[in-house]
Amino acid sequence: MKRKIAIGLAVYSVVFLLAGGYVIRTIRNATTSLDRLITLHQVEILREHYLLQIKKVQSDLMLKGTPYSKSFDSVVMHVMGMGRLIDTCFECHHSPRGMERLNGLKRQTDKYKDAISRVLTVRADTARLAAEKDTAFRVGEDLIEQVGDMIAFTTSRLGENTQRAMSEIEHTKYILYVLVAMGPLVSALLGYFFISGLTRPVKVLVESARKLKGGDLDHRVAGLSDEFGEVAASFNEMADSLKEQMHKMQRTEQMVVVGELAAGLAHEIKNPMAGIKVAMSVLPEEAYISSEDKEVLQKVVAEITQLEGLMKSFLNFAKPQKPRLETVNVNQMLNTTLTFHLKHQSIGAGGSGKIEIVKEFGELPATQADPTQLQQVFLNLFLNALHAMPHGGELGVRTSLAEDGETIRIEISDTGSGIREDLIKKVFQPFFTTKPKGTGLGLAISRQLIEQHDGTIAVANRPGGGVLFTILLPVKAEGAAA
Amino acid sequence: MQKRPVACILFMLCLPLFAACSPKEPPQPAKKPPVEKLLIGLIPEQNIFNQLERYEPLGEYLSRKTGTKITFKVLPRYGNIIDSFKSSGLDGAFFGSFTYTLAHAKVGVEVLARPVALDNTSTYYGMIFVRKDSRIRTARDMKGKRFAFVDRATTAGYLLPLDYFHHHGISDYKHYLKEAYFTGTHEDAIHDVLNKKADIGAAKNTVFQRLASEDPRILKDLVVLERSLDVPENAIALRKDIDVSVRNLLKESLLAMHLDPDGKKVLERFGALKFIETTNSDYSVILKYAEEIHLDLATYQYMNN
Repeated sequence: MKRKIAIGLAVYSVVFLLAGGYVIRTIRNATTSLDRLITLHQVEILREHYLLQIKKVQSDLMLKGTPYSKSFDSVVMHVMGMGRLIDTCFECHHSPRGMERLNGLKRQTDKYKDAISRVLTVRADTARLAAEKDTAFRVGEDLIEQVGDMIAFTTSRLGENTQRAMSEIEHTKYILYVLVAMGPLVSALLGYFFISGLTRPVKVLVESARKLKGGDLDHRVAGLSDEFGEVAASFNEMADSLKEQMHKMQRTEQMVVVGELAAGLAHEIKNPMAGIKVAMSVLPEEAYISSEDKEVLQKVVAEITQLEGLMKSFLNFAKPQKPRLETVNVNQMLNTTLTFHLKHQSIGAGGSGKIEIVKEFGELPATQADPTQLQQVFLNLFLNALHAMPHGGELGVRTSLAEDGETIRIEISDTGSGIREDLIKKVFQPFFTTKPKGTGLGLAISRQLIEQHDGTIAVANRPGGGVLFTILLPVKAEGAAA
Repeated sequence: MQKRPVACILFMLCLPLFAACSPKEPPQPAKKPPVEKLLIGLIPEQNIFNQLERYEPLGEYLSRKTGTKITFKVLPRYGNIIDSFKSSGLDGAFFGSFTYTLAHAKVGVEVLARPVALDNTSTYYGMIFVRKDSRIRTARDMKGKRFAFVDRATTAGYLLPLDYFHHHGISDYKHYLKEAYFTGTHEDAIHDVLNKKADIGAAKNTVFQRLASEDPRILKDLVVLERSLDVPENAIALRKDIDVSVRNLLKESLLAMHLDPDGKKVLERFGALKFIETTNSDYSVILKYAEEIHLDLATYQYMNN
């Protein structure tokens, strides 16, 4: 988004810079045209003025010798004025051709001045004076013609230039109108583009939050990028977590209900069942009971014992005991469980195959945990592994400390047939079992106990066959809360 | 903060020293000149408009130096310059040698200075000339021809021809010649002979040489028959009643022009190296001419009628 805003601002600046540059250039061209036009007008005025001055001198010349003749000083002033005007023309910039024409005009003016000077100073008979006057007059007329030609030329150029300048000014006006009209429109469009770029992702996030609030925990935000994409990813993680927590809460509530139900049920069943079991145990001692009936009664007692175990497990699961934390060594606990309990259970299970136990214990720090509950978990997992390998195999037990130094990793694996992929997600569910005599509570209780220790347990099929259970337990220092 | 006033006082105290150390310049104008403006007349030695243009920079320079506004007024005739002291209120003029002699006698003007030309001369002489192809070589050949004088009040353009006719025993040139007229300027007298408007002409050598440098036909087609003695170049003179301080300041400014860089530039444009002091004694040769032809300067009718 930062990049988009930067690009947007750059585009905005470039557009305005280009538009501003174009406006300045257009105005400059128009003013240059106007300057040129003004200069041409000045030139035309100057030439008109010059022509007027020549005509004034011609008039002075014609009136000379009449009662209306001007004073000598006045004539001198007019001629000097005429001379100054032609000199003024040289102050402007001219093309070589223009300069040539101007030099010709200057020469003709000097000739005229000479002739006028002569008329003013000569003292001779009437015929000579008339001849001098006539000569001066003719020079003056030639000059008037030349200046008239130049004025006509300037006027024609002035017309063309005026037309061109007016056309440029019209064009400038048109461009300015368009820019004035387009400027706000372009600004509005760019503004809309950038604002919608900001509001659309916000709108999507707000909508998603509302859906989440409405209970749609499966809704996820998609289609956002940049910083908003990161916000969307965090939102989705939050939704995942929320969903998981919700499931946990639901399960907890279910367990509370089941626990209360089980406690009540167990209490109601336990006492009569104890009476039945005692009666069934005593009854074979009676003489009138045949040996066949005695076997039946013993089977009844065995079934009642199994029912009692089931009841006990169920109560443990429904109303788990809070862990009693002690400082334990996980490697040592695993070793103890393998050494005492597993050998006995293995023998008791009566498996025909040979079980090879592979232990790879890493160096672990001591941690706070309930040793009874951990032993129960480990035993459950070991027994599961043994049952998965009725014809023998390898039981792997590995421990290590995670890189963060705060998590103990425990891996328990077997080389059995593994779990079907469609069932692997259900192994931790209560009462799910693949064994004919299983209660379906062993792994559910194991997970419950591990989670009570703020840890996690996961299961996966191994690539070479068999199952791998991975337990992650946080390292807790003495005095830490459970 | 305390140092600034001390520095200012030291600077003020040093100002007179700085002024004393500055390079010496030509005389500076007084704050309030006794005369606010001077009107100086110009004789039509050449094309009157060119004449004005030539003198204008000189007028501006002298105005700056003297503090007195100096303007020039060109006159159509040499003789007008004398009348103008009475009619047009002229305060002074650049006089030709004969005009000054007349004006000194009639109006009492006093000469101050005259320019030294670029060829380092401060005098000129008059010439009588004809076209080479005219076959006029002597005074006798001039009989029945057209003569272009400059003005009755010029040395070169009238006094010399009069002296020439006098020496050759011609007492009334008007009847001797077919036509005699006054061109008003030396340039026109030369041009008229060159262009066959007149057969004989008289003019000053400085104008002749200047025109010859511009138009090679002059040396090729014209021949000089007679020349006068050297007389002072056109000089500036003021009315005798002009304030002495103004007169002296103007004279000093003129004489120091060539020492001043600005003045030097103006002199270059004017066509002179410098101005030199001029006195009445420089005009003795004119008095000699007048005496020879029995001319009474006090009663001489200088108008070209």
